[in-house]
Amino acid sequence: MRSWIRSHRWESLLALILIATIVGNTIMAPVYLGVGNIVNLFWLSIEKIIVAVAMAFVIINGEIDLSVASVMGFSAAVLATLHENAVVPFGIAIIIALVVAALAGLIQGLAVTKLGIPSLVVTLAGLIGFRGAARVLLEDGSVGDFPEWFDRLGQRTLVGPLPFGLILFLVLLALGWFVLERTAFGRKVYVTGNNPAVAKYSGINVEWLKLRLLVMSAVVAGVAGILFAARLGSVRGSLAEFYELDIITMVLLGGVSIFGGSGSMLGVALAMFTVLNIRNGMGLANVDGIIQTGVVGTLLIGSALVPNVIQRFRVRFPTVGRYEPDAAEP
Amino acid sequence: MSTSSRRRLRPDRIKELSLFGLIALSVVVFGSVVEGYLSGRFFNRVTTSVVVVVILAVAQSLVIVSRNIDLSVGSIVGVSAYLTADFLQSNAGANPVLAVVIAMAVGAALGAFNGAIVAYGGVPAIIVTLGTLALFRTLVSLYSGGANVTADVLPDWVIELNASTLVSAGGFDLRTTFLVAIGVVVVFQWVLARMRWGRRLYAIGSNPDAAAQAGIPARRLILLSYIGTGSLAGLAGFMFMVRVGTISATAGSGLELESVAAAVVGGVSILGGAGTILGAFLGALLIDTLRLSLVRVPQVSEFWRDAVLGILVLLAVIADSLLSRRLSGRVVDVSAVESATSSTATAVKGAADA
Amino acid sequence: MTSKRVWIKRLAFLSVVAMLVAACGGSDNDTTTTAAQDSPATTAATETTAATETTAATETTAATETTAATETTAAATGVVTISPAESIPTTFLPKCTNIPVFPQANDGAVEAAGELGSEEAAFVGPADCGDATGQIDFMANAVTQGVAAIMVSNNAGDELAPSAQAAADAGIPVVSWDSPIPSAEGESVFIAQVDFDETGTVMADMALEILGEDGGQFAVLSATPEAANQNAWIAAMEEVLAGPDYADLDLVDTVYGNDVAEDSLNQALALVDSYPDLELIMAPTTVGIVAAAQALTQEGLCDEVKVSGLGLPDEMREYTLSGCAPQFALWSFQDLGYLAYYVAYGLATGQIEAVEGQSFVAGRMGEYTIEADPTRDAGLRVLMGPFSVYDETNVGG
Repeated sequence: MRSWIRSHRWESLLALILIATIVGNTIMAPVYLGVGNIVNLFWLSIEKIIVAVAMAFVIINGEIDLSVASVMGFSAAVLATLHENAVVPFGIAIIIALVVAALAGLIQGLAVTKLGIPSLVVTLAGLIGFRGAARVLLEDGSVGDFPEWFDRLGQRTLVGPLPFGLILFLVLLALGWFVLERTAFGRKVYVTGNNPAVAKYSGINVEWLKLRLLVMSAVVAGVAGILFAARLGSVRGSLAEFYELDIITMVLLGGVSIFGGSGSMLGVALAMFTVLNIRNGMGLANVDGIIQTGVVGTLLIGSALVPNVIQRFRVRFPTVGRYEPDAAEP
Repeated sequence: MSTSSRRRLRPDRIKELSLFGLIALSVVVFGSVVEGYLSGRFFNRVTTSVVVVVILAVAQSLVIVSRNIDLSVGSIVGVSAYLTADFLQSNAGANPVLAVVIAMAVGAALGAFNGAIVAYGGVPAIIVTLGTLALFRTLVSLYSGGANVTADVLPDWVIELNASTLVSAGGFDLRTTFLVAIGVVVVFQWVLARMRWGRRLYAIGSNPDAAAQAGIPARRLILLSYIGTGSLAGLAGFMFMVRVGTISATAGSGLELESVAAAVVGGVSILGGAGTILGAFLGALLIDTLRLSLVRVPQVSEFWRDAVLGILVLLAVIADSLLSRRLSGRVVDVSAVESATSSTATAVKGAADA
Repeated sequence: MTSKRVWIKRLAFLSVVAMLVAACGGSDNDTTTTAAQDSPATTAATETTAATETTAATETTAATETTAATETTAAATGVVTISPAESIPTTFLPKCTNIPVFPQANDGAVEAAGELGSEEAAFVGPADCGDATGQIDFMANAVTQGVAAIMVSNNAGDELAPSAQAAADAGIPVVSWDSPIPSAEGESVFIAQVDFDETGTVMADMALEILGEDGGQFAVLSATPEAANQNAWIAAMEEVLAGPDYADLDLVDTVYGNDVAEDSLNQALALVDSYPDLELIMAPTTVGIVAAAQALTQEGLCDEVKVSGLGLPDEMREYTLSGCAPQFALWSFQDLGYLAYYVAYGLATGQIEAVEGQSFVAGRMGEYTIEADPTRDAGLRVLMGPFSVYDETNVGG
């Protein structure tokens, strides 16, 4: 157990913070522990955490995708436009919207792999461009009136107290964890993020991997966008605007290094739950949304800064503090 | 100066010239399509609206060249705009210069906070500034208690400053605010290109390890660059207050992405070590000119503008990356590797030649 | 990796999931137990909500039926004076907390709560006025907190309906003010500050007076695209403009400034750029009208283009006196908040029902009657009062 904690410092720290948050929330607002609230806690941010699972892969791989929120909006806009004009049956429209999202990921992925442009810049352009594309489709209006089954799927519970979106998220999370940490594919993602040159010379097709991940990220964003449309009951051009910051914050807070090559799905999951709990608890205590974001931001900085400070302290004073068998630092 | 530095300057000059060419081209194209385009009114519109973004693009470039980023500039603008406006509300007779000083001091303090954690705390810039983006916004939200500062309580000179003109020729005004922005560009272009401080920032961005081994005090310089960015963002906040008047707790949201886009379009490489302040200025100018030009073409609905802008940013960086690849040469010619290591290779070659 | 480490890791992961599932395993017994352990005030609230549940059921059915004046329940006879009963927790949810009009409305609600001996409503909302869907989270939280009533100025169009309906299902009356839920789903009653159709006439008349006999081009600078109130007013104005008296007025465009100062400023400038012959910007939002006036004053265009719409006298005074905004209109937000709180309180404490014909006295504002809302397909409303039209004579100084 102790060695697990030592080799998973970040996750352990997060688990502590999570527990503290849960305790704090329970004290601040006892209604927090109710069934409905726990479901709400996840459900109100379900799209963000779904995309965060995919974003973890992308960032561990050493890239970044700033365009996810815009792709969410764009694919939802495609769905809404197809539905409004009754061009195809609704089910087909959903598939088309997902294909469009995949294409968006493909375009960005090709720009990164074939043209060698940093993903930060490509997806920044995507962020602006796809948001604009969503607005072109929907202008200033909103489209709703989706089929009954679609609205019900997005707004009502499916199995017990869990709505479809939440079930989907749990499945994706479990799947993501399994693929990332239990399969060869996941190992490739880590190695490529750690050192692309080494990966390439080990026989990994780096380009193809990065391309696939960026496409996957866009498709997952598309799914989240469609889910959002079902939850809201209508779609606007501004759907999910600025969500990318929250999503990336959750992944980084989860211990995924921005430079790639390290991080775990467990950490990301803990970070997600922590952020959602903080927001939910503070919301129930009527704390302003900006302050909630500020607390999350402070947590982000603190969680990255504190270990560094402790590390420096320990280098300076190696004999102070706890027992460390491998204390000799280079 | 050694040949390598001369060679490093040339690609930048070409980039700047091509940006200038693009601006000129779009003016010509739009001038022929839209009536009344080549008028003083449009010139004034562009020059006044571009001020805040230009200053922020310069600010952003300061940290990007050293391979960092500052996502909190939008929040710094909000904080400094709000605090300055609040100060003026209670001290209506204060000297305008004092207001500018306050705005910049606030920005510098916030920038120092960023810089300290990035440089001395060893936390990656994107994480720090993502956190301070939220944190600074929280500070202004707490300070304001939800109240706005509305334009009517600000002293008259604030409104007048926006319209005040230094030189005017046939409807084409050179507004004071625009001239301040130009001044900022000139000063920092000189600092970054000529002063040792500036050149060292490029070195840090090109190859941090080589720079450290060369004895460059990276941490101090990065801290200074963030203080510079913060001060400029504070100045931008002052300009923002002058232009918009009504300042709320959410003022300035979204400006950080605009500043990065402007810098990137202007040829400032996100990998660090390349690009000029002049390029960033031209990038901001190009984006704003295009955006405001599209407004005047009634056939293009406003919803197309953002989509076009995204395409523009993409095209600009594609062009920039192709251009710099051709001009700076490559040591290692492996396509899969270069995206991660091209800047290092350039620096290695450059350092070997020096 | 050792199997032990793997096992521990899985356990940690599963325990987090288990937290979620275990909470689900708890049935409604848990929520009622927690409620019972709460302080008397909250217990009173749950009792009241239980009491209003039966009335709430009839309220919602009455609200969703169209007209049907014959369907009056027993409680709709006589005028009820809403009086202090008990202290109830409520939520006051404006579009955003940034614009001055909403704290003003909250002042009214605070005043009402004081008179009724109730605790002040929790004043919550998105900080960013452009954030249209932010209110959904607050609505959901309010339901979880188990408040006795929710008063909301809707910025999310029909997207707010599912969460409002969830509140109604939980027995919480949702009283909208300033901006209704267009479909009236989940909404008990809407407190209309003025008649929305009349708003269209007022705006059209102001445009006519400013543009003069020869008419001219004008444009609308609105708030967010999904704001129910602005959209209703603009639609009403367009209908009025179709009439013969307004034939010379040409509405060229409607743009959205999202109730954010800088966006509104840029949109106002864009309007002036796109339409060189524009003579008036009509902004039915207090943020937009100030931004437009500011933009025109800065650019020195006040002689060519005027500004009108809905604005606060305090903010618009200098622009009116300078001639940039010769005329604009508004109502008292404080009165609106005051009335909204009274109605919400009356519904929550069971003193009145949200049915057509219900008359009541709301403190210092006097007597009102709930009626079917003629400006929407469904829904009830309480019509507060008349416009105040401001010009240089009465804008104060």
